[in-house]
Amino acid sequence: MIRDRRRKYDAARASTLIDMHTHDATPAIELAGLTKQFRTARGETVHAVDGVDLTVGQGEVVALLGANGAGKTTTLDVVLGLTRPTGGSARVLGLPPHEAVAAGRVSAVLQSGGLLRDLTVRETVELVASLCLDPRPVDEVLERAGLHPISRRMVSKCSGGEQQRLRFALALLPDPDLLVLDEPTAGMDVTARHEFWDAMHTDAAAGRTVVFATHYLEEAESFAARIVLMAGGKVLADGSTSEIRARAAGRSLAARLPGPDVRRVTKALRARPEVVRVDLRGDRVTVVARDSDAVARVLLMEHGACDLEISAASLETAFLSITERVMEDAR
Amino acid sequence: MNTVYVGLELRRIFRDYVNVFFVGVLPAFLFLIFGTQSYSSERIGNGNVGMLIMISMAAYGAVTATTGIGGMAAVERMQGWGRQLGLTSMRDVSYVGNKTLVALVVATIPIVLIYLLGALTGASATALAWLLSGALVLVGAAVFGVYGLAVGLAFRTEAAVSAASGLLVIMAFLGNVFMPITGTLLDIGRFTPLYGYNALVRYPLTGGDLEAGGHDPLWMILANVTVWAGIFVLAATHLVRRGRERQ
Repeated sequence: MIRDRRRKYDAARASTLIDMHTHDATPAIELAGLTKQFRTARGETVHAVDGVDLTVGQGEVVALLGANGAGKTTTLDVVLGLTRPTGGSARVLGLPPHEAVAAGRVSAVLQSGGLLRDLTVRETVELVASLCLDPRPVDEVLERAGLHPISRRMVSKCSGGEQQRLRFALALLPDPDLLVLDEPTAGMDVTARHEFWDAMHTDAAAGRTVVFATHYLEEAESFAARIVLMAGGKVLADGSTSEIRARAAGRSLAARLPGPDVRRVTKALRARPEVVRVDLRGDRVTVVARDSDAVARVLLMEHGACDLEISAASLETAFLSITERVMEDAR
Repeated sequence: MNTVYVGLELRRIFRDYVNVFFVGVLPAFLFLIFGTQSYSSERIGNGNVGMLIMISMAAYGAVTATTGIGGMAAVERMQGWGRQLGLTSMRDVSYVGNKTLVALVVATIPIVLIYLLGALTGASATALAWLLSGALVLVGAAVFGVYGLAVGLAFRTEAAVSAASGLLVIMAFLGNVFMPITGTLLDIGRFTPLYGYNALVRYPLTGGDLEAGGHDPLWMILANVTVWAGIFVLAATHLVRRGRERQ
């Protein structure tokens, strides 16, 4: 019976999905000029979000990628109506965020926390279900999150991965159009991470819009079709996974500088337009550059470098380089 | 009211036997020590002093219970539960309302227990005074559920729960709950939160007369209760909103 309804429901979702590609549907998320400032205890103002413009269409799976403090969580908090923006506007499925949440059209898996330790898994789901307008059946949600075997267990006795699956179950209760995941796999071991994403894949395949924050590059790459790279409260890059990869292209050069004025050399290197980043450890310099040949020539011919090694920059370094390049431009 | 929510909250509380023991049994023990002495049979208002002490100890038990539950709400906030609730259709007003209801149910435990002990140990008053004082103890204790919540939300630590309960003891002394206060202490005490509540729950027995002489007019008692209730509700509502934002 439940399965039957589920199938009907999936069919309905699929047809909406097709509709969306042919018609111009309301975006799932629409942020314009969004800013959020916090006052610290010492009275300093922190610009957690500093002018973010972002539109996410319905049915998209988007990763918000960035280091800690990049402004991901604050941005998502605005989308979820948990915090009011200082400036700019936010619409979720065409509604003000808190209305979209109250209507059960948006839900989220929040970063660690958010559970009562002295309830059982099942009781937690029942409790949150009682606060939803039109919740899906508790048993169905427990099943989908793979929680049936441990439904009588106290939350305090659940592992980190199990607690995260419970948060996922809670997020499924209102049957949302938009699902927001804030670093959903933080603190999970590899197996738990795989299980979690397997469950998510099933769900996203049903046509739900999914936006997740992460600082794991591979997670963004393997799950999202689109990556939004954030740092310092700004969007630095926004595009399909392959576009971002192309933008991030670059090579890494390492060489030994035997001369006495190592500092002067690094300064000269930093001044070059094709150089993205220079690190110095002892007399060994590491350079990330877009045109590695030019830099190699300069290093060998002008600065008398030796033991030169050139390698493709890992995606991780490449992302760091995009981040730093844009941040420097901003300064 | 949300019966599922309230029911599950109650289940959580009764799971913690130690806590229930202290909320129910400790004030009852205090009553047996202070309320069953030779002076207990002295007349006051339409009853006796044993009745007076019974009412005040039940009141103390009830506010301890409600403050503790308010404090528990604060610990939940600390664990990020407030953000989880912020993602549901539940509104701020109904959060406070449901929590208050839970606190009232738990506050009934010391009231029933101590009134039962009072009846067995010779507390006496008119039937109306028994009923009315009991009802006022229960309803008035709700104010302190909001007090516990506000203190807990403001400080967000488990220590805040003990601090709120610790403050209750001081407030109880200033509020004329444990023993009769006089002079300057009484003048100051009249402005403290537990004074109005304690005077109100005793009113059906004493009609406002004080044990050590003197009289509290009803308007003054009600003004104290209203003002403090207003302060707690405003503070709690404001802090519930703040608690949803990231710390």
